[in-house]
Amino acid sequence: MGNETADVVVIGGGIIGMATSYYLSKLGLDVVVVEKGEIAGGTSSKCDGNILAIDKEPGFDSQMSLKSQELVTELVKELDEEFEYRAPGSILVCENEEEMVAANAWVEHQKQAGLPFRMLDRNDIKSEWKYMADDIYGGLECATDSTVNPVLFTYALAVTAKRLGVRLKTHTTVTKIRLDANGAVEGVETSSGLIYTKQVVNAAGVWSKHIGQMVGIEVPIEPRKGHILVSSRTKSIGTRKVMEFSYLMSKFGKERKVDEETEKYGVALVFEPTASQNFLIGSSREFVGFQTQINVDVIRCIARRAIRFFPVMKDIPILRSYCGLRPWTPDHLPIVSRVEEVPGFYIAAGHEGDGISLAAITGKVMSELITDQKTTITTDPLRYDRFQKTEV
Amino acid sequence: MSNSIIVCRCEEVTVENLEDAYHTGAITSRQIKMKTRATMGACQGRVCRNLVDLWMGNKNPLASKGVEQLSYRPPVRPITFGELAGEE
Ligand SMILES: Cc1cc2nc3c(=O)[nH]c(=O)nc-3n(C[C@H](O)[C@H](O)[C@H](O)COP(=O)(O)OP(=O)(O)OC[C@H]3O[C@@H](n4cnc5c(N)ncnc54)[C@H](O)[C@@H]3O)c2cc1C
Repeated sequence: MGNETADVVVIGGGIIGMATSYYLSKLGLDVVVVEKGEIAGGTSSKCDGNILAIDKEPGFDSQMSLKSQELVTELVKELDEEFEYRAPGSILVCENEEEMVAANAWVEHQKQAGLPFRMLDRNDIKSEWKYMADDIYGGLECATDSTVNPVLFTYALAVTAKRLGVRLKTHTTVTKIRLDANGAVEGVETSSGLIYTKQVVNAAGVWSKHIGQMVGIEVPIEPRKGHILVSSRTKSIGTRKVMEFSYLMSKFGKERKVDEETEKYGVALVFEPTASQNFLIGSSREFVGFQTQINVDVIRCIARRAIRFFPVMKDIPILRSYCGLRPWTPDHLPIVSRVEEVPGFYIAAGHEGDGISLAAITGKVMSELITDQKTTITTDPLRYDRFQKTEV
Repeated sequence: MSNSIIVCRCEEVTVENLEDAYHTGAITSRQIKMKTRATMGACQGRVCRNLVDLWMGNKNPLASKGVEQLSYRPPVRPITFGELAGEE
Protein backbone atom coordinates (compact mmCIF):
# COMPACT_ATOMS: atom_id res chain seq x y z
CA MET A 1 0.00 0.00 0.00
CA GLY A 2 3.06 2.23 0.03
CA ASN A 3 2.57 3.48 3.57
CA GLU A 4 5.27 5.71 4.91
CA THR A 5 7.57 4.86 7.77
CA ALA A 6 9.64 7.05 10.09
CA ASP A 7 11.84 6.73 13.16
CA VAL A 8 9.92 9.56 14.79
CA VAL A 9 6.75 11.46 13.92
CA VAL A 10 6.57 14.97 15.40
CA ILE A 11 3.04 16.37 15.71
CA GLY A 12 3.04 20.17 15.36
CA GLY A 13 5.14 22.54 13.23
CA GLY A 14 5.49 25.29 15.84
CA ILE A 15 8.76 26.39 17.40
CA ILE A 16 8.82 23.36 19.73
CA GLY A 17 8.12 20.80 17.01
CA MET A 18 10.69 22.36 14.69
CA ALA A 19 13.41 22.57 17.35
CA THR A 20 12.76 18.94 18.29
CA SER A 21 12.91 17.86 14.64
CA TYR A 22 16.10 19.79 14.05
CA TYR A 23 17.95 18.19 16.98
CA LEU A 24 16.62 14.73 16.09
CA SER A 25 17.78 15.08 12.49
CA LYS A 26 21.22 16.15 13.69
CA LEU A 27 21.46 12.77 15.39
CA GLY A 28 20.64 11.11 12.06
CA LEU A 29 17.08 10.03 12.78
CA ASP A 30 14.45 9.80 10.08
CA VAL A 31 11.79 12.34 11.09
CA VAL A 32 8.38 13.32 9.71
CA VAL A 33 6.62 16.48 10.95
CA VAL A 34 2.83 16.53 10.64
CA GLU A 35 1.32 20.02 10.83
CA LYS A 36 -2.38 20.71 10.29
CA GLY A 37 -1.76 24.26 9.02
CA GLU A 38 1.46 25.99 8.11
CA ILE A 39 4.87 26.00 9.79
CA ALA A 40 4.64 28.53 12.65
CA GLY A 41 0.93 29.01 11.94
CA GLY A 42 -0.06 28.44 15.59
CA THR A 43 1.03 30.29 18.72
CA SER A 44 4.61 30.60 17.45
CA SER A 45 3.61 33.44 15.10
CA LYS A 46 1.32 35.22 17.58
CA CYS A 47 3.85 36.11 20.23
CA ASP A 48 6.88 38.18 21.18
CA GLY A 49 10.40 36.87 20.73
CA ASN A 50 11.90 37.42 24.16
CA ILE A 51 14.44 34.99 25.54
CA LEU A 52 14.44 35.90 29.19
CA ALA A 53 16.15 34.98 32.43
CA ILE A 54 15.09 38.21 34.18
CA ASP A 55 11.73 36.80 35.25
CA LYS A 56 12.84 33.29 36.22
CA GLU A 57 13.26 31.99 39.76
CA PRO A 58 16.94 31.22 40.43
CA GLY A 59 17.37 27.48 40.36
CA PHE A 60 15.98 25.04 37.83
CA ASP A 61 13.87 27.69 36.07
CA SER A 62 16.70 30.08 35.35
CA GLN A 63 19.24 27.34 34.61
CA MET A 64 16.94 25.95 31.94
CA SER A 65 16.58 29.42 30.38
CA LEU A 66 20.30 30.12 30.48
CA LYS A 67 21.09 26.77 28.88
CA SER A 68 18.56 27.49 26.16
CA GLN A 69 20.05 30.95 25.69
CA GLU A 70 23.45 29.34 25.18
CA LEU A 71 22.07 26.91 22.61
CA VAL A 72 20.44 29.81 20.72
CA THR A 73 23.81 31.49 20.31
CA GLU A 74 25.06 28.23 18.78
CA LEU A 75 22.01 28.04 16.53
CA VAL A 76 22.81 31.51 15.20
CA LYS A 77 25.90 29.89 13.67
CA GLU A 78 24.44 26.45 12.89
CA LEU A 79 21.18 27.28 11.11
CA ASP A 80 20.97 28.06 7.38
CA GLU A 81 19.09 31.35 7.84
CA GLU A 82 19.27 34.22 10.26
CA PHE A 83 16.45 35.17 12.66
CA GLU A 84 17.15 38.68 13.94
CA TYR A 85 18.97 37.54 17.06
CA ARG A 86 20.14 40.34 19.37
CA ALA A 87 21.21 40.29 23.02
CA PRO A 88 20.80 43.81 24.44
CA GLY A 89 19.65 42.71 27.91
CA SER A 90 16.27 43.58 29.37
CA ILE A 91 14.91 45.67 32.23
CA LEU A 92 12.01 45.68 34.66
CA VAL A 93 10.72 48.99 36.03
CA CYS A 94 9.09 49.71 39.39
CA GLU A 95 6.13 52.00 40.06
CA ASN A 96 6.46 52.34 43.82
CA GLU A 97 8.73 51.85 46.82
CA GLU A 98 7.26 48.46 47.65
CA GLU A 99 8.18 47.10 44.24
CA MET A 100 11.69 48.54 44.61
CA VAL A 101 12.13 46.57 47.84
CA ALA A 102 10.91 43.38 46.19
CA ALA A 103 13.10 44.09 43.14
CA ASN A 104 16.12 44.53 45.37
CA ALA A 105 15.54 41.15 46.99
CA TRP A 106 15.10 39.60 43.55
CA VAL A 107 18.40 41.08 42.33
CA GLU A 108 20.32 39.90 45.42
CA HIS A 109 18.86 36.43 45.01
CA GLN A 110 19.91 36.33 41.33
CA LYS A 111 23.39 37.69 41.99
CA GLN A 112 23.98 34.98 44.57
CA ALA A 113 23.11 32.48 41.85
CA GLY A 114 25.83 34.11 39.71
CA LEU A 115 23.58 35.89 37.22
CA PRO A 116 24.38 39.32 35.71
CA PHE A 117 21.64 41.32 37.47
CA ARG A 118 21.83 44.88 38.87
CA MET A 119 19.53 47.54 40.32
CA LEU A 120 18.84 50.76 38.38
CA ASP A 121 17.96 54.00 40.14
CA ARG A 122 15.78 56.83 38.89
CA ASN A 123 18.75 58.47 37.16
CA ASP A 124 19.84 55.30 35.40
CA ILE A 125 16.32 54.95 34.02
CA LYS A 126 16.03 58.59 33.04
CA SER A 127 19.34 58.63 31.18
CA GLU A 128 18.56 55.52 29.14
CA TRP A 129 14.83 56.17 28.61
CA LYS A 130 14.08 59.77 27.83
CA TYR A 131 10.40 59.03 27.13
CA MET A 132 9.73 57.07 30.33
CA ALA A 133 7.18 58.62 32.73
CA ASP A 134 8.83 60.85 35.36
CA ASP A 135 7.35 59.07 38.38
CA ILE A 136 9.05 55.73 37.76
CA TYR A 137 11.09 54.80 40.83
CA GLY A 138 13.79 52.70 39.23
CA GLY A 139 14.20 49.12 38.16
CA LEU A 140 16.56 46.27 37.49
CA GLU A 141 18.51 44.87 34.59
CA CYS A 142 19.50 41.43 33.36
CA ALA A 143 22.38 42.06 30.98
CA THR A 144 22.30 38.80 29.01
CA ASP A 145 18.65 38.63 27.90
CA SER A 146 18.10 38.36 24.17
CA THR A 147 15.46 38.50 21.51
CA VAL A 148 14.66 36.85 18.18
CA ASN A 149 12.02 37.04 15.49
CA PRO A 150 10.00 33.95 16.47
CA VAL A 151 8.62 33.25 13.01
CA LEU A 152 12.00 33.53 11.31
CA PHE A 153 13.50 31.39 14.08
CA THR A 154 10.92 28.67 13.41
CA TYR A 155 11.48 28.93 9.64
CA ALA A 156 15.27 28.75 10.12
CA LEU A 157 14.91 25.54 12.14
CA ALA A 158 12.51 24.14 9.52
CA VAL A 159 14.71 24.96 6.53
CA THR A 160 17.79 23.46 8.17
CA ALA A 161 15.91 20.38 9.40
CA LYS A 162 14.63 19.88 5.87
CA ARG A 163 18.15 19.99 4.50
CA LEU A 164 19.09 17.33 7.05
CA GLY A 165 16.33 15.08 5.70
CA VAL A 166 13.26 15.90 7.81
CA ARG A 167 10.02 15.59 5.83
CA LEU A 168 7.54 18.38 6.54
CA LYS A 169 3.88 17.53 5.92
CA THR A 170 1.93 20.77 6.20
CA HIS A 171 -1.86 21.02 5.82
CA THR A 172 -1.99 17.50 7.16
CA THR A 173 -3.92 16.71 10.34
CA VAL A 174 -3.20 13.91 12.77
CA THR A 175 -6.49 12.10 13.30
CA LYS A 176 -5.52 9.01 15.29
CA ILE A 177 -2.56 7.31 16.93
CA ARG A 178 -2.36 3.54 16.51
CA LEU A 179 -1.22 1.41 19.41
CA ASP A 180 -0.20 -2.25 19.22
CA ALA A 181 -1.45 -5.11 21.40
CA ASN A 182 0.86 -4.02 24.24
CA GLY A 183 -0.31 -0.41 24.13
CA ALA A 184 2.86 0.87 22.48
CA VAL A 185 2.90 3.35 19.59
CA GLU A 186 2.66 1.67 16.19
CA GLY A 187 1.70 4.45 13.80
CA VAL A 188 0.07 7.80 13.17
CA GLU A 189 -3.01 8.25 11.03
CA THR A 190 -3.25 11.54 9.18
CA SER A 191 -5.60 13.21 6.72
CA SER A 192 -3.26 12.04 3.98
CA GLY A 193 -2.51 8.51 5.12
CA LEU A 194 -0.84 6.30 7.68
CA ILE A 195 2.76 6.68 8.86
CA TYR A 196 4.29 3.68 10.63
CA THR A 197 6.48 4.72 13.54
CA LYS A 198 7.33 3.55 17.02
CA GLN A 199 7.91 7.04 18.38
CA VAL A 200 5.64 10.06 18.43
CA VAL A 201 6.28 13.51 19.90
CA ASN A 202 3.20 15.50 20.90
CA ALA A 203 4.35 19.08 20.19
CA ALA A 204 0.89 20.44 19.48
CA GLY A 205 1.05 23.39 21.90
CA VAL A 206 -2.42 24.31 23.19
CA TRP A 207 -3.86 21.44 21.16
CA SER A 208 -1.71 18.80 22.86
CA LYS A 209 -4.50 17.85 25.25
CA HIS A 210 -6.53 16.69 22.25
CA ILE A 211 -3.57 14.67 20.91
CA GLY A 212 -3.11 13.11 24.38
CA GLN A 213 -6.71 11.95 24.36
CA MET A 214 -5.93 9.95 21.20
CA VAL A 215 -3.84 7.62 23.40
CA GLY A 216 -6.12 7.86 26.42
CA ILE A 217 -4.12 10.25 28.60
CA GLU A 218 -5.00 13.63 30.12
CA VAL A 219 -2.45 16.34 29.31
CA PRO A 220 -3.14 19.25 31.69
CA ILE A 221 -2.53 22.09 29.19
CA GLU A 222 -5.02 24.95 28.73
CA PRO A 223 -5.01 27.98 26.40
CA ARG A 224 -4.14 31.30 28.06
CA LYS A 225 -4.91 34.11 25.66
CA GLY A 226 -2.66 37.13 25.14
CA HIS A 227 -3.08 40.28 23.02
CA ILE A 228 -0.32 42.33 21.41
CA LEU A 229 -0.41 45.78 19.77
CA VAL A 230 1.94 46.71 16.93
CA SER A 231 2.94 50.36 16.50
CA SER A 232 3.64 51.96 13.16
CA ARG A 233 7.20 52.94 12.35
CA THR A 234 8.24 55.74 14.64
CA LYS A 235 11.12 57.52 16.29
CA SER A 236 13.04 55.26 18.64
CA ILE A 237 11.44 55.02 22.07
CA GLY A 238 14.13 52.65 23.29
CA THR A 239 16.48 49.98 22.04
CA ARG A 240 15.71 47.07 24.32
CA LYS A 241 12.98 45.32 26.19
CA VAL A 242 11.17 46.88 29.15
CA MET A 243 8.61 45.20 31.34
CA GLU A 244 6.94 46.34 34.52
CA PHE A 245 8.15 44.65 37.69
CA SER A 246 4.61 43.86 38.76
CA TYR A 247 4.52 41.57 35.68
CA LEU A 248 6.40 39.13 37.91
CA MET A 249 3.59 39.31 40.42
CA SER A 250 0.99 38.51 37.76
CA LYS A 251 3.14 35.74 36.35
CA PHE A 252 3.36 33.95 39.65
CA GLY A 253 -0.19 34.83 40.67
CA LYS A 254 0.92 37.24 43.41
CA GLU A 255 -0.95 40.41 44.27
CA ARG A 256 -0.52 43.59 42.22
CA LYS A 257 -1.63 47.14 42.88
CA VAL A 258 -3.54 47.98 39.71
CA ASP A 259 -7.08 48.90 38.71
CA GLU A 260 -9.79 46.30 38.33
CA GLU A 261 -9.69 45.93 34.54
CA THR A 262 -5.91 45.66 34.41
CA GLU A 263 -6.15 42.93 37.02
CA LYS A 264 -9.08 41.16 35.35
CA TYR A 265 -7.37 40.91 31.94
CA GLY A 266 -3.94 40.24 33.47
CA VAL A 267 -2.51 43.24 31.62
CA ALA A 268 1.15 44.11 32.20
CA LEU A 269 3.44 46.24 30.08
CA VAL A 270 5.88 44.50 27.77
CA PHE A 271 7.67 46.87 25.37
CA GLU A 272 9.69 45.24 22.62
CA PRO A 273 11.43 47.19 19.84
CA THR A 274 11.59 45.12 16.63
CA ALA A 275 14.14 44.96 13.84
CA SER A 276 11.62 46.76 11.59
CA GLN A 277 11.76 50.15 13.37
CA ASN A 278 8.50 49.74 15.19
CA PHE A 279 7.61 48.20 18.52
CA LEU A 280 5.30 45.63 20.06
CA ILE A 281 3.27 46.34 23.17
CA GLY A 282 1.87 43.54 25.29
CA SER A 283 0.20 41.91 26.92
CA SER A 284 -2.73 40.24 28.63
CA ARG A 285 -3.28 36.85 30.29
CA GLU A 286 -6.78 35.36 30.21
CA PHE A 287 -8.45 31.97 30.31
CA VAL A 288 -11.22 32.30 27.73
CA GLY A 289 -10.99 28.97 25.92
CA PHE A 290 -9.89 28.70 22.30
CA GLN A 291 -11.47 31.88 20.97
CA THR A 292 -9.00 34.21 19.28
CA GLN A 293 -11.06 37.30 18.49
CA ILE A 294 -9.51 40.64 19.41
CA ASN A 295 -11.27 41.96 22.51
CA VAL A 296 -11.35 45.75 22.24
CA ASP A 297 -11.72 46.17 26.01
CA VAL A 298 -8.47 44.26 26.48
CA ILE A 299 -6.45 46.17 23.89
CA ARG A 300 -7.81 49.45 25.27
CA CYS A 301 -6.54 48.42 28.68
CA ILE A 302 -3.13 47.51 27.20
CA ALA A 303 -2.92 50.90 25.42
CA ARG A 304 -3.71 52.68 28.69
CA ARG A 305 -0.99 50.73 30.48
CA ALA A 306 1.53 51.59 27.74
CA ILE A 307 0.75 55.31 28.04
CA ARG A 308 1.12 55.11 31.82
CA PHE A 309 4.78 54.16 31.35
CA PHE A 310 5.42 56.00 28.06
CA PRO A 311 3.16 59.08 27.86
CA VAL A 312 4.65 59.88 24.43
CA MET A 313 2.84 56.87 22.95
CA LYS A 314 -0.45 58.75 23.18
CA ASP A 315 0.22 60.16 19.72
CA ILE A 316 1.86 57.13 18.09
CA PRO A 317 -0.35 55.21 15.65
CA ILE A 318 -1.15 51.54 16.14
CA LEU A 319 -0.74 49.44 13.02
CA ARG A 320 -2.61 46.34 14.12
CA SER A 321 -3.21 43.95 16.95
CA TYR A 322 -3.18 40.19 17.25
CA CYS A 323 -3.61 37.55 19.88
CA GLY A 324 -2.30 34.10 20.60
CA LEU A 325 -2.95 31.21 22.96
CA ARG A 326 -0.20 30.33 25.41
CA PRO A 327 -0.02 26.66 26.32
CA TRP A 328 -0.46 26.90 30.11
CA THR A 329 0.32 24.18 32.67
CA PRO A 330 -0.69 24.21 36.37
CA ASP A 331 2.89 24.73 37.64
CA HIS A 332 4.19 27.05 34.87
CA LEU A 333 6.79 24.52 33.73
CA PRO A 334 6.49 22.73 30.38
CA ILE A 335 6.11 18.99 29.96
CA VAL A 336 9.19 17.53 28.25
CA SER A 337 8.86 13.85 28.93
CA ARG A 338 8.17 10.32 27.87
CA VAL A 339 4.82 8.88 28.89
CA GLU A 340 5.52 5.61 30.69
CA GLU A 341 2.08 4.08 30.20
CA VAL A 342 2.22 4.54 26.41
CA PRO A 343 5.65 3.31 25.25
CA GLY A 344 6.93 5.45 22.37
CA PHE A 345 4.73 8.46 23.22
CA TYR A 346 6.48 11.70 24.21
CA ILE A 347 5.24 15.18 25.11
CA ALA A 348 7.04 18.47 24.41
CA ALA A 349 4.45 21.13 25.17
CA GLY A 350 3.05 23.52 27.75
CA HIS A 351 5.64 26.31 27.60
CA GLU A 352 3.10 29.05 28.29
CA GLY A 353 4.88 32.40 27.77
CA ASP A 354 8.34 30.89 27.32
CA GLY A 355 8.14 28.64 24.28
CA ILE A 356 10.49 30.76 22.21
CA SER A 357 12.96 31.01 25.11
CA LEU A 358 12.88 27.31 25.84
CA ALA A 359 12.56 25.83 22.34
CA ALA A 360 16.27 25.11 21.94
CA ILE A 361 16.73 23.32 25.27
CA THR A 362 13.42 21.49 24.78
CA GLY A 363 14.40 20.21 21.34
CA LYS A 364 17.84 19.17 22.54
CA VAL A 365 16.54 17.31 25.59
CA MET A 366 13.78 15.67 23.57
CA SER A 367 16.34 14.32 21.08
CA GLU A 368 18.36 12.98 24.02
CA LEU A 369 15.35 11.29 25.65
CA ILE A 370 14.35 9.61 22.39
CA THR A 371 17.85 8.27 21.76
CA ASP A 372 18.35 7.23 25.40
CA GLN A 373 21.24 9.58 26.08
CA LYS A 374 22.08 11.50 29.22
CA THR A 375 20.10 14.75 29.05
CA THR A 376 21.76 18.20 29.00
CA ILE A 377 19.73 19.27 32.04
CA THR A 378 17.85 17.15 34.56
CA THR A 379 14.30 16.51 33.38
CA ASP A 380 12.66 15.48 36.65
CA PRO A 381 10.77 18.78 37.09
CA LEU A 382 9.49 18.44 33.51
CA ARG A 383 8.09 14.91 33.78
CA TYR A 384 4.54 14.21 32.69
CA ASP A 385 3.77 12.10 35.77
CA ARG A 386 4.41 14.98 38.20
CA PHE A 387 0.77 15.98 37.77
CA GLN A 388 -0.56 12.48 38.37
CA LYS A 389 1.36 12.23 41.66
CA THR A 390 -0.11 15.42 43.12
CA GLU A 391 -3.65 14.42 42.20
CA VAL A 392 -3.54 11.08 44.04
CA MET B 1 7.70 41.91 -14.34
CA SER B 2 10.99 43.68 -13.80
CA ASN B 3 12.66 42.57 -10.59
CA SER B 4 13.12 46.07 -9.24
CA ILE B 5 9.38 46.86 -9.30
CA ILE B 6 8.11 47.73 -5.83
CA VAL B 7 5.19 45.54 -4.82
CA CYS B 8 4.63 46.88 -1.31
CA ARG B 9 5.32 50.59 -1.02
CA CYS B 10 4.93 50.89 2.74
CA GLU B 11 7.61 48.32 3.46
CA GLU B 12 9.54 48.85 0.21
CA VAL B 13 9.40 45.25 -0.93
CA THR B 14 10.42 44.53 -4.54
CA VAL B 15 9.63 41.62 -6.82
CA GLU B 16 13.22 40.57 -6.26
CA ASN B 17 12.61 40.35 -2.50
CA LEU B 18 9.61 38.10 -3.15
CA GLU B 19 11.69 35.94 -5.49
CA ASP B 20 14.43 35.60 -2.87
CA ALA B 21 11.99 34.62 -0.17
CA TYR B 22 10.34 32.12 -2.50
CA HIS B 23 13.63 30.47 -3.35
CA THR B 24 14.60 30.07 0.30
CA GLY B 25 11.46 28.14 1.01
CA ALA B 26 8.57 30.59 1.55
CA ILE B 27 5.95 28.92 -0.60
CA THR B 28 2.67 30.44 0.55
CA SER B 29 1.40 34.03 0.73
CA ARG B 30 1.57 33.92 4.49
CA GLN B 31 5.20 32.81 4.54
CA ILE B 32 6.11 35.41 1.92
CA LYS B 33 4.48 38.07 4.07
CA MET B 34 6.30 36.98 7.21
CA LYS B 35 9.65 36.89 5.44
CA THR B 36 9.49 40.08 3.41
CA ARG B 37 6.99 42.14 5.47
CA ALA B 38 5.00 42.76 2.25
CA THR B 39 1.39 43.71 3.21
CA MET B 40 2.44 44.43 6.80
CA GLY B 41 2.93 48.19 6.49
CA ALA B 42 0.93 51.29 7.22
CA CYS B 43 -1.83 50.66 4.66
CA GLN B 44 -2.38 47.16 6.05
CA GLY B 45 -1.95 45.61 2.62
CA ARG B 46 -4.84 47.47 1.04
CA VAL B 47 -2.67 48.25 -1.96
CA CYS B 48 -0.55 45.14 -2.33
CA ARG B 49 -2.46 42.25 -0.77
CA ASN B 50 -4.00 41.19 -4.09
CA LEU B 51 -0.70 41.65 -5.90
CA VAL B 52 1.11 39.39 -3.47
CA ASP B 53 -1.64 36.76 -3.64
CA LEU B 54 -1.62 36.94 -7.45
CA TRP B 55 2.15 36.71 -7.70
CA MET B 56 2.12 33.75 -5.34
CA GLY B 57 -0.67 32.08 -7.31
CA ASN B 58 1.40 32.34 -10.49
CA LYS B 59 4.44 30.86 -8.80
CA ASN B 60 2.63 28.07 -7.12
CA PRO B 61 -0.98 27.48 -8.14
CA LEU B 62 -1.47 25.33 -5.05
CA ALA B 63 -0.38 28.09 -2.69
CA SER B 64 -3.73 29.80 -2.50
CA LYS B 65 -5.87 26.70 -2.78
CA GLY B 66 -7.26 25.72 0.59
CA VAL B 67 -4.53 27.72 2.22
CA GLU B 68 -5.00 30.63 4.59
CA GLN B 69 -5.61 33.80 2.62
CA LEU B 70 -3.92 36.91 3.93
CA SER B 71 -6.12 38.42 6.58
CA TYR B 72 -6.94 41.88 7.83
CA ARG B 73 -6.16 42.49 11.48
CA PRO B 74 -7.99 45.11 13.50
CA PRO B 75 -7.84 48.03 14.01
CA VAL B 76 -8.52 48.38 10.30
CA ARG B 77 -7.81 52.12 10.17
CA PRO B 78 -4.72 53.25 12.10
CA ILE B 79 -5.54 55.01 15.37
CA THR B 80 -3.17 56.18 18.07
CA PHE B 81 -2.56 54.54 21.42
CA GLY B 82 -4.22 57.60 22.97
CA GLU B 83 -7.39 57.28 20.89
CA LEU B 84 -7.66 53.60 21.68
CA ALA B 85 -7.09 54.21 25.37
CA GLY B 86 -9.98 56.66 25.27
CA GLU B 87 -7.92 59.69 26.18
CA GLU B 88 -8.89 63.12 24.80
C1 LIG C 1 0.92 37.22 23.39
C2 LIG C 1 2.02 36.21 23.55
C3 LIG C 1 3.33 36.62 23.78
C4 LIG C 1 4.36 35.69 23.93
N1 LIG C 1 5.64 36.14 24.12
C5 LIG C 1 6.65 35.24 24.25
C6 LIG C 1 8.00 35.68 24.42
O1 LIG C 1 8.30 36.87 24.41
N2 LIG C 1 8.97 34.74 24.62
C7 LIG C 1 8.68 33.40 24.63
O2 LIG C 1 9.57 32.60 24.85
N3 LIG C 1 7.41 32.96 24.44
C8 LIG C 1 6.39 33.85 24.25
N4 LIG C 1 5.11 33.40 24.08
C9 LIG C 1 4.86 31.95 24.18
C10 LIG C 1 5.18 31.19 22.90
O3 LIG C 1 4.57 31.86 21.81
C11 LIG C 1 4.65 29.75 22.99
O4 LIG C 1 5.08 29.15 24.19
C12 LIG C 1 5.16 28.91 21.82
O5 LIG C 1 4.90 29.56 20.59
C13 LIG C 1 4.53 27.54 21.82
O6 LIG C 1 5.05 26.83 20.71
P1 LIG C 1 4.50 25.40 20.33
O7 LIG C 1 5.34 24.90 19.22
O8 LIG C 1 4.37 24.57 21.56
O9 LIG C 1 2.99 25.67 19.85
P2 LIG C 1 2.44 26.16 18.44
O10 LIG C 1 3.30 27.16 17.81
O11 LIG C 1 1.01 26.51 18.63
O12 LIG C 1 2.54 24.85 17.54
C14 LIG C 1 1.66 23.76 17.69
C15 LIG C 1 1.26 23.30 16.30
O13 LIG C 1 0.53 22.07 16.38
C16 LIG C 1 -0.35 22.03 15.29
N5 LIG C 1 -1.39 21.02 15.53
C17 LIG C 1 -2.35 21.04 16.50
N6 LIG C 1 -3.15 19.96 16.37
C18 LIG C 1 -2.69 19.23 15.33
C19 LIG C 1 -3.10 18.01 14.71
N7 LIG C 1 -4.16 17.30 15.15
N8 LIG C 1 -2.41 17.57 13.63
C20 LIG C 1 -1.34 18.27 13.16
N9 LIG C 1 -0.91 19.43 13.72
C21 LIG C 1 -1.57 19.91 14.79
C22 LIG C 1 -0.88 23.45 15.24
O14 LIG C 1 -1.43 23.75 13.98
C23 LIG C 1 0.35 24.29 15.60
O15 LIG C 1 1.00 24.81 14.47
C24 LIG C 1 4.07 34.31 23.89
C25 LIG C 1 2.76 33.88 23.63
C26 LIG C 1 1.74 34.81 23.45
C27 LIG C 1 0.34 34.33 23.16
